[in-house]
Formats: sequence, structure tokens, C-alpha cells
Amino acid sequence: MTNFNWLLDGSIVGLYLLITMAAGLYVRKYVSKVDDFLVAGREMNVYLGIASLAATEFGIVTCMYTAEAGYKYGFAGATPGIAMALSMLVIGYTGFCIKPLRDSGVITIPQLIEKQFGPRVRWAAGVVIVLGGLLNMGVFLRIGGQFLVTIIGLKVTSFNLWGFQVGYLEAMMTVLLIGVATYTILGGMLSVLITDFLQFVVMSVGLIAVTLLVLVYVGWDKIVTTVEVNYGAGGFNPFVHPDLGWPYVVFQIMLNFAAVLTWQTTIARVLAAKDSMTGQKIYVRTSFFFVCRFLIPGIWGIAALATLGQVTNTLDAMPTFLSTFVPVGLMGLCVAAMLAADMSTDSSYMLTWGSVIYNDIMAPFRKKEWSEKKGILINRMIVALIGVFLLFYGLWYPLEGDVWTYLGITGTIYLASISVLLISSCYWKGANSWGAFGSIIFAAAIPVAFLVLEKTPGTKDLAKQIGPYYSGIAAYVCSALAMVIFSLLKPKKGETT
Amino acid sequence: MKYFWLILTLAAVIWYIFVTAYVSFKGVTDIKEMLKKLGDKDRSA
Repeated sequence: MTNFNWLLDGSIVGLYLLITMAAGLYVRKYVSKVDDFLVAGREMNVYLGIASLAATEFGIVTCMYTAEAGYKYGFAGATPGIAMALSMLVIGYTGFCIKPLRDSGVITIPQLIEKQFGPRVRWAAGVVIVLGGLLNMGVFLRIGGQFLVTIIGLKVTSFNLWGFQVGYLEAMMTVLLIGVATYTILGGMLSVLITDFLQFVVMSVGLIAVTLLVLVYVGWDKIVTTVEVNYGAGGFNPFVHPDLGWPYVVFQIMLNFAAVLTWQTTIARVLAAKDSMTGQKIYVRTSFFFVCRFLIPGIWGIAALATLGQVTNTLDAMPTFLSTFVPVGLMGLCVAAMLAADMSTDSSYMLTWGSVIYNDIMAPFRKKEWSEKKGILINRMIVALIGVFLLFYGLWYPLEGDVWTYLGITGTIYLASISVLLISSCYWKGANSWGAFGSIIFAAAIPVAFLVLEKTPGTKDLAKQIGPYYSGIAAYVCSALAMVIFSLLKPKKGETT
Repeated sequence: MKYFWLILTLAAVIWYIFVTAYVSFKGVTDIKEMLKKLGDKDRSA
């Protein structure tokens, strides 16, 4: 039983979807060049950038795993948000890497990397970015669907369509993906920015309203007591939490610093900004949002623990709690907010991974300059193919195992090496292609090896002893060391091997 | 640590309310300017 009312709440959701689609489709007429499609003609200003960055980096999947972290670890689960906010503030304030990146006028990070390391490294970096990014994104649709089905409270899981049994979850997310893909394919980054803005407003109003409701009706005292009773001091301090500790904190600092520097959907906002100063301002002024991004759903997760007690499926605890806690009317706003969060994330992710495929992976096939018309057509086809991939991989293929581990591993494969490559190409003239390849190989090998150890019955216990945080830290450290050591080993021009 | 999280939660909610209102207002101006510039570029091309 949920509080979702199909007439009232359904109308609010329907109206929101209609307005977003119309706005996304309206701006397609401004797209005449590849630059317009991929970076909105580099005309984005600060406030639109803040709205777009915040909307992109908060999807249903974010809300689900941050709420789960609150449910499982208490307030300590919001530590990654603080690490990310501090990283973004420091990088935005100093312009570390992002200033030379934006000033160079590139569309993607591998394009800058090529200037120092050559076309082969650019291509390899593009492949690593797309693989890590798409595998990471592959689970978004299913988790988004799980949230919506739980909160709406669909008792019947499937319906009959022309003799076929079709699941509601699959049907719901397919329709949503087709809608998002349509405006992204037609309007590119311009449509993404305009819809991101609308989605930021709807998402934020919904998040704030539900949070105030939780703080008033569940109460701060009950939230604090729940954390104290279930997790003791560890629920407030990650350093003394038995499942977290200093390796968790160090890993979060490395992961989030690398993500702020190189995560393509985040960096795309700097690249679409009208100049590097605007990009830096967007980073500085959005930084504190990342505390909210982890803390607000975290509080929902703790409230779920306070209300429901211990449940088996910790990922479903928050939507199960909201389904009966949020009243009719506000429920429509809450679902619209979550749809907004998911749509803005999906559209941005499809476009930005597509931009790396077009700009870097396909670069060797573009020896002769393509016309703007052909470039836009190819980009549209890539976005459509990514949509098809998402549908089959994320929706019809069931994911096994823990979501956060999956996201962490796929993210680290890409983030560890690309952050080292970016820093080296901006600030170390001695870095070269040997170091770059060494860095890419080590950064990918360590997390993959950990995953294999974890899934193999004979080495499962060893993987448990090592733990995901030590393995993650090792990936970043070894990637950096490989860059230094292999760069120094490569003979300089004129030297004999 | 309890007070740290209380202050952080209050700061997060107040900051988020303020930023949502401010960005909602100023973002519209940014969109208008961006579309105008892109429209002008198209006409001059």
C-alpha cells in the first residue's frame, strides 16, 4: 500500500514530463554545428552551469546508494560528499588542471592528453573512459526502475501485451529512456542544458520538501538516537566505524578528487563554459551541493532505519519508507523530482560518453575533415546506440551483487589512470607515452584483479582480507608510480636502447 | 560529532533552499542570453 494517487500525483508527473520534453525538443533548432551539439557552442554561463552540474550528478541511482549508505553506516556514510565538496572547492578555486583544460579549447580530456602522449594514448584513454563510463551507467535504468516501482507500489509486476508478458519495471524505464534519448539525439548538449535547468528546479523543490517533512515528522532527536543505538560512535565518525576506518576515508578522498578532475559528465560543464573563469566559478559555487547530495538522501536512509527497523534489502529501505511516509500530492512532486534527477543524469551521460566515442575513439577514422552535417548525424547515431546498449545491458540484463562495489570498481578503472594522465599532461613535461600506458594498465588491472579474486570461491577470503578500499588505494598509487617509473625508463631521443 | 552533523545538516538545507531560489531566477537569464548568442551566430554564418 502506498500513498501514490494515480489521478493527482500521476497528473503532476505527467505535466512535468510534458513540459520537459517540449523544452528539450524546442531548442533543437539552434543546433547547426558539432560544437553546438557537444558543448552548446561554449556559451554556457555560471548559473545554468550550476543547475546542469547539480542535476547531472544527482540521479535516482545516487539517491538510492547514498540513502543506503545512511541506512548502513549512519551519518558516517555521508563522508564521500564532504570529500567531493572539498575537492571541487579546491580545484575550482585554484583552477588545478581545469584551467589549462578549458583554455586549450578541447572537447574531451583525451584530446588534451594527445598533445603530450600522442594519438595512441589518446585512443587508449578514450576506450578506458567509455568502457568505465558505460559499464558504470549500465545499472542506472534498472535501479531507477526499482525505485519507481517500489514508491508507486505496483502490486502486479507485469501485464499482457499482444500475448507477451511485459514487466512494469521494464516497460516504464523503456518509455522513459525513449523520451530522454529523443531530445538528447535531436538537441544534444543544448537540450541537455535546458532540460537540466528545469530538472534542477523540480528535483530541488522535491528534495527540500521531503527532507523538511522527514526532519519535522521523524524528528532530529529520533534520527540521532537511531544512529547511536545501531552504530554507536562509528555512526558519526568514519574513522572509528568497524566497516569503514581510515582506508575508507583515504579511498574516498582519492576517488572523489579524481572524479572532480576527470569524470567526463562533470568536466563537460567546464568545457561547455564560456571561459575558464566561468568554469572555475561553476565548480566553486556548486561544491557544497555535493554535501547535500550525500547528506540529504542519507538522512532519508536513517529515517527509514528509524521507521522500518532492520530489513533484508537495504537498497529498497528508503523507497519503501517514502512510499507510505510522503502524503498524496507531495508524492507526485517527489516522483517528478526523482524522474527529473534520473532524466538529467541519463541524458548527460549518453551525450558525454558519446562525445568521447566521436571525438577520440573515432578520431583515427576521421583523417579527412567531416562536414558539420555529417558530424552531427554521426553523433546522433552514437547517442542512439548508447541508448540501445543501456536498454539491453541495464534493463534486461539483471545485475548481480552490490551496487556500490560495482560503481566503485568500474569508476576506478577509469578515474585512477585518467586523473594521473591529466595531471601529468598539465604539469609534468617529462611524462611520456610509456608512463601513460603503464598508468592505464595498472589502474585497470588492480580493480579488475580484485573483482576476480572476490568472485572466485578459492580466493574469496583473500579478497575479503584485502578489502575494496585497500585495493582502490593501490590502484591510484600504482597508477601514479607507473607513470613516473615508466616515463623515466623510456630512452630519450638520441639515446640507444 | 553530533553537533557537527547537526550544523552540517542545517547548513545543507538552508544553502540548498537559497541556491535553488537564486539559480532558478538567474538561470532563466543565462538561458535567454545563450539562445540569443547562438541565434545570432547562426544568422551571421
